[in-house]
Amino acid sequence: MQPSDLRAPSARLLAVALAVLLALTAVSWLLAHVPLGGASTPIALAIAAIKASIVAIAFMELHHASTPARVTVFVTLSFIALLAAGAVTDVLLR
Amino acid sequence: MTEPAEPIYADPGARAHALHLGMWVFLGSETLLFAGLFALYAAYRGAYPADFAAAVHHNNAVIGTANTAILIVSSFCVAWAIHAIRLGRRRLSLAALAAAMALGAAFLALKTAEYSEHLAEGIAPGVHYSAAALPSDGAQIFFTLYYAMTGLHALHVIAGISLLGWLAVRVARRRVTAERHTELELGGLYWHLVDVVWIFLWPLLYLTG
Repeated sequence: MQPSDLRAPSARLLAVALAVLLALTAVSWLLAHVPLGGASTPIALAIAAIKASIVAIAFMELHHASTPARVTVFVTLSFIALLAAGAVTDVLLR
Repeated sequence: MTEPAEPIYADPGARAHALHLGMWVFLGSETLLFAGLFALYAAYRGAYPADFAAAVHHNNAVIGTANTAILIVSSFCVAWAIHAIRLGRRRLSLAALAAAMALGAAFLALKTAEYSEHLAEGIAPGVHYSAAALPSDGAQIFFTLYYAMTGLHALHVIAGISLLGWLAVRVARRRVTAERHTELELGGLYWHLVDVVWIFLWPLLYLTG
């Protein structure tokens, strides 16, 4: 047994995560056929972010990762936020 | 005469933590590589919203959606393989890895079919673009980005399948066991990132115009 095994996800958690991920995929697909106007992209990306979080927590076991690993993820997401803010600002101010 | 070098990590737990951290840093750099392409996509979509909408609707959403489900299930299979090896169930772990690799191959087969469809219509990257149905500059830029993003992602899928294959051999040879399976966890992290990247590519390239 390794240290990471002590807090490993259960089979039930993995199965529930799979079911929720597939359900959210179906929701995204259905919403793509509903006229939501400008809200369609933010909603689709919000669902994608929820799905990515489920993968990160249930499959990648991020919540049990060491503090330095979690800091690495935080810094990565911060850099992405900075990049996204720059791209959006550029588009809005043109 | 010099003394033999001490192992860097006498404690296997410290070694596993260090390897995991190294993998998370690597995944961070991979994420930022894709983030640059996403930023480029956002900037050009802001400049050509109507052309991008038309191009998104031209893409085959059935193939894109099928590939999304395929990668999600394959991610589950890899998580299941790790779950099984922790319980000492080697054969189940091997079966789950084989299923994940088969799903990865199915993803690539669908992607190849989609590329063939596009190329037959003249939808090629960069200066080779000659699609009569979508002649705008914005559509050309969209599909150049489409090839760059999905092509880079497909390379990651190929690398991931190769990695899973190597890990399956290690499991079969009992090099990866219930007591020692850090490399399987690291390979799993890589495969899950490939899934996460596609989770964001799918709505932007196939669903939202």
